[in-house]
Amino acid sequence: MSAEIEISGLSKVFGQGAGAFHALSGIDLTIETGEFFTLLGPSGCGKTTLLRMIAGFEQPTAGTLRINGEEVAGKGPNARPVNTVFQNYALFPHMSVRDNIGFGLKMLGRPRAEVAATVDEMLRLVRMEAMATRKPSELSGGQQQRVALARALAPRPRMLLLDEPLSALDLKLRKEMQSELKRLQIETGITFVFVTHDQEEALTMSDRIAVMNAGRILQLGTPHEIYNTPSDRFVAGFIGDTNVLSLAVASSGGDGVTLAVPGAGALPAASPAGLTLLVGQTVTAVVRPEQARLCPLAEADLTATLEQTVFFGTDTHLHLRLADGQGFILRRQNAADEVDPAPGDRLGLRLARGALRVLKD
Amino acid sequence: MHSTRHGWKWLLSAPALVVLVLAASGPLLIVLVYSFLTPGNMGGVAWVPTGEAWFRVFFKRDLFEPDVITWNDANLMVLWRSVWLSLQTTVICAVLGFPTAWFIATRPPTNRPFWLFLITIPFWTNILIRTFAIQEMIRNNGTLNTLLDWLGLISAPLDLLFTDFAILLGMAYVFLPLMVLPLYAAMEKLDFRLVEAAYDLYASRRRALWHVILPMVKPGFIAGSILVFIPAIGSYVTPRVLGGGRTMMLGNLIALQFGQGRNWPLGAALSVMLLVIVTAALVLYLRTVSKESGGPRG
Repeated sequence: MSAEIEISGLSKVFGQGAGAFHALSGIDLTIETGEFFTLLGPSGCGKTTLLRMIAGFEQPTAGTLRINGEEVAGKGPNARPVNTVFQNYALFPHMSVRDNIGFGLKMLGRPRAEVAATVDEMLRLVRMEAMATRKPSELSGGQQQRVALARALAPRPRMLLLDEPLSALDLKLRKEMQSELKRLQIETGITFVFVTHDQEEALTMSDRIAVMNAGRILQLGTPHEIYNTPSDRFVAGFIGDTNVLSLAVASSGGDGVTLAVPGAGALPAASPAGLTLLVGQTVTAVVRPEQARLCPLAEADLTATLEQTVFFGTDTHLHLRLADGQGFILRRQNAADEVDPAPGDRLGLRLARGALRVLKD
Repeated sequence: MHSTRHGWKWLLSAPALVVLVLAASGPLLIVLVYSFLTPGNMGGVAWVPTGEAWFRVFFKRDLFEPDVITWNDANLMVLWRSVWLSLQTTVICAVLGFPTAWFIATRPPTNRPFWLFLITIPFWTNILIRTFAIQEMIRNNGTLNTLLDWLGLISAPLDLLFTDFAILLGMAYVFLPLMVLPLYAAMEKLDFRLVEAAYDLYASRRRALWHVILPMVKPGFIAGSILVFIPAIGSYVTPRVLGGGRTMMLGNLIALQFGQGRNWPLGAALSVMLLVIVTAALVLYLRTVSKESGGPRG
């Protein structure tokens, strides 16, 4: 694979002096050709600013941005081989679906016949053939979304930038569009850079994810890496549900780290490379709710008291309290023949191998 | 019970109906009837029905041989000049109004009322005073000629006053706010993300303006054009003060017939003509608007 975008030392500051706002600080990032890349983070983390800089709507304060090996600083959006799907679609209300989709090609000065052929192809691609002559105001949100996608794909950009394109859709439609987007990305082979604050969306669709907060990239990796080996407390908390525990280090040596678990003994824990831990030091450790299961008390890694059960359909969340008072949530997949324990019961828990992870703070 | 309530509702609209009948339709009807009567000796009308006034709007008889009929080119010239000057005024207002409205619409929201306030100040000043101010500026020994002379740009004063140019200048100045305000209203609602989308799809600045911004603010242009054209074609004060007696518009011709001319039926017929032109402009406007918004809106 070759690099589609190379970003180094990229910063963006809005305003000046004391009121200056550092939207992005020192971003280093490489996006490969043909990958589905997601910028994930809470609102205000700088992900949209980064996307707008790639598109050309904002110019960087410092740093370099190369698209396909070419420095693009100073070039406007109309001089970059990228197209954007806007958060609220930004379809031209005075044009038909057909004219909207053909707009980019028309501006590029392509022959009329070529524009018509490409528009037909795009209409088929997003399954909107029947709506070609409608105005955007006569379309539902999902249909407008498809038109916005077709419009951005029609000029065959090297890269498609998507700014929270699914946030305005209801849940069911959003799920549909997620697989639709993934299908389009695979069919067209175009690099997708996707911005979202929805961690589930990011996990299901992306090849790689950059988790951002406060203008910085905290972790860069595949969905598996991000979910299973979060680099710090923010990433662990932002991606998926997690139990965050404060535990003391029981031993630290060549064969790994063990943590003292209240009411149990010492449990082996995974810890990031390069982190030196002292015995007795209190560290932050995380366990995913689905990586613990109930077991007989005799075989338990740790014990806890059940406070409450919350039913979610496919699974049930057990809200537990550990011996030292820390909360712990366990997610159990529902099976017809199982009986939920009652509040007040003392339960034994067993953790999956590698489930307990020490985090850098 | 039901019918009583219905009756009450009808009564509630009575004031509006009275205003509509007495203040709008009534006078119009009188004007229409007068246009088919004979002029009275000392002004007013004699109740003798005739089509003479309407005949004289378009045609004239030879003074010595009444059977020789020719076009009344004096009246038709005034009619044409009124339409032409008003169209020019509308175009000038649109050309000047667009950048002005764009400037205001792109200021931070907190500053916009200030700029709008500046635009509307002339509204609160008497039109006569404003028009005489322009007269003072462009007359032979006026501000503009004095300034140009002082700069050495001219050797003899420019004859600006009492020309079509003077009327255009005055009307464009008087009616400009009527174009700026609806344009501003349309631009304020403009979604600037659409402009970004156009840039993103390879449009240059000029093409984004032409393909996205102008179509989107078109309703503002249409509303502004109507608001400028209708009062412009009926102008009286501006052509009177800046055109002198030399360059007349429809409003002055009508006033002349009701005044010195003492030909009320002709004045009435010309007034109806004015109404017809204005109505035609409005119908054209409504057609364009309904074509724009054809089909259901979601």
